[in-house]
Amino acid sequence: MRPTACIVLALTLAICVVAGQASARPNAQITVYAAASLTDVFPKIDPSQRYQFGGSNTLAAQITQGAPADVFASANMALPTQLFSKGLCSKPVVFTRNTLVVVVPKANPAKIRSIYNLTKPGVKLVIAGSGVPVGSYTLQILKNMNLSGSVLKNVVSRETDVREVLAKVALGEADAGFVYSTDAKTVSGKVTVIKVPAWAQPKVQYGICVVTKSGDKADAQAFVKKVLSKAGQARMLQYGFLPAKKKKR
Amino acid sequence: MKRALVACFVTVVCVVTLAFLALPIVAIFAHTTPGHLIDQLSNPVVRDALVVSLKTSLIAQALIVCFGTPTAYLLATRRFFGHSVAITLVELPLVLPPAVAGIALLAAFGRLGLFGSTLDALGLTLPFTQTAVTIAVAYVASPLYIRQAIAAFEATDPNLTAASRTLGAGPTRTFFRVVLPLARGGLIAGLALSFARGLGEFGATIMFAGSLQRVTQTLPLAIYAEFDRNFNATLAMSGVLVLLSVALLLGLRIGLTWQRSPSKRSLYLFGPSPSG
Repeated sequence: MRPTACIVLALTLAICVVAGQASARPNAQITVYAAASLTDVFPKIDPSQRYQFGGSNTLAAQITQGAPADVFASANMALPTQLFSKGLCSKPVVFTRNTLVVVVPKANPAKIRSIYNLTKPGVKLVIAGSGVPVGSYTLQILKNMNLSGSVLKNVVSRETDVREVLAKVALGEADAGFVYSTDAKTVSGKVTVIKVPAWAQPKVQYGICVVTKSGDKADAQAFVKKVLSKAGQARMLQYGFLPAKKKKR
Repeated sequence: MKRALVACFVTVVCVVTLAFLALPIVAIFAHTTPGHLIDQLSNPVVRDALVVSLKTSLIAQALIVCFGTPTAYLLATRRFFGHSVAITLVELPLVLPPAVAGIALLAAFGRLGLFGSTLDALGLTLPFTQTAVTIAVAYVASPLYIRQAIAAFEATDPNLTAASRTLGAGPTRTFFRVVLPLARGGLIAGLALSFARGLGEFGATIMFAGSLQRVTQTLPLAIYAEFDRNFNATLAMSGVLVLLSVALLLGLRIGLTWQRSPSKRSLYLFGPSPSG
C-alpha cells in the first residue's frame, strides 16, 4: 500500500500547489498590463510591480476575458475607454503622449531616405496589425500623407506589437518599419530614424486606468498616481515620451 | 475494503484527468454553434488563413516525405560512424522551443544570416515569404515523421527483405515492393503526427515568416491576430484546427493498426506457427 500512499500524497500536494498559485498573490505587488512601448520606462518608474507588456489590444482582450490585471496602460485612449464603457475599468486619464517615426536598419539596404521612398517597389515594410494602436496610427499617417495605397502594397508583415516591428527592422530582416520615436531610441545603434512630418502625425495619447476587478485597488491607484507624479513624468520625458498635456504656447 | 478504496481513488483521478484534457476542447464548441462555425468560414481572414495553412502544410509534408523517407531508411538499416549524432540531430527540432527554432532559422536563412548573402546572390529572400512558412513548418514537423519512419523500418522483418533479394529482386524493387508496404502503417502514422504538428506551428513562423493575411498568416497566427478583435472568428478557427487534429489522430490510429497487421502476417509466414 505504501506506493499508493505516496501517489496519493503527491497528487494532493500537486493540487494544493496549483490551487495556491491560482489564488495566492504576493502582498502589495500589483500586476500592470502595459503597452509594449512602455517596456523600458515603466520598470524604471516603479521596479517593484509585476509587468505584462504587449500589444494594448491583446492586453485589453485579455482583461475582457478576466485576466488578473490591476492597472491597464494603453498606447491609445480608445481601448481603455472601451473597457470603461463596459464597466471593466475606471475612467482612463491621459498620462503621456508620443510620436511615430520610420526606422530603417543601419545598413539601409533599400536606401530609404524619406517616408516617400517607402513607395518604391520591393521595399520590405513591416507595420503593426491594424488592431494594435501603433498599427492604426501608422494607417492614419499614410492616409494623412495620401500614401495609403502605394505604401501598403509593400507591407510584408503585420506584427502583434510595436517591439516586434522594431525587432524585425533592428535584425535587418525588414527594410523599414513604423514605430514610436521612443522605441527607436532603445536600439539607436542598430537603426536609423526617419522623421514623419509633424503635420501628418496622429494624436498619440496614452491612457491609464484601474481595472474594476482588481483585488488591490488602493495600490493600483497609488501606481497610477506615481506615473502621473512629477517624478514619474520626469522619467517618461527622460525616455523620450511627451508630457501628458501639450505646452501652451 | 482497502482495495475498493484504491479502485475508487484511481477512478476519480482518471475522471479528473480526462475532464481536464477534454473540457477546454468542449468549451471551444460550447461557445459557438455549428452554424456560426460555418458562417465564419466565409470570413476572408479565416478562409485565407485556412488556405495558407493547408498549402504550406501540404508542401512541407511532401518535402518531409521525399527527404525524410530515404534518410529514415538509411538511419534504420545502416550503422555508420556518427550514427547516434545523426539520430540526435534528427530529434533536436522536436525538443527545441519554437521561438528558438525561429531565431535559428533567421540566423541561418535570414538576410543577415549564415546563408543570407548566398541566397541573396541567387535572388532569393526568404523571410516574410510563404516559402519561409513552409521551411518553418518542415523544420519543426519533420522529426516526428522521421522518428516514426525509422521505427517502422527497424520493425520490418529483415528475413523478408533478404528473401526478396535471394528471389532476384534488386534493392530498389525490394524497397518499393517489400519494405515500403510493410512500413506503410508506421509511415502514415508519422505523417499524421507531423502534419498535426505542422498545422499548429506558431513560434517559428511568426519570427521567421511574419504574419500577413493571404501570404504568411496561418491559422494559429490568425487566431492570435484576431483574438482581440473577433472572438467568434478565433473560436471558429480553433474549431477547425481541433477537427483537423481529431481527423489526423484517427489517421494515426488507422495507420498504427495497419502497421500491426502485416507484421502479424509475417509471423505466420516465417516464424514458428502458433499451431505448431
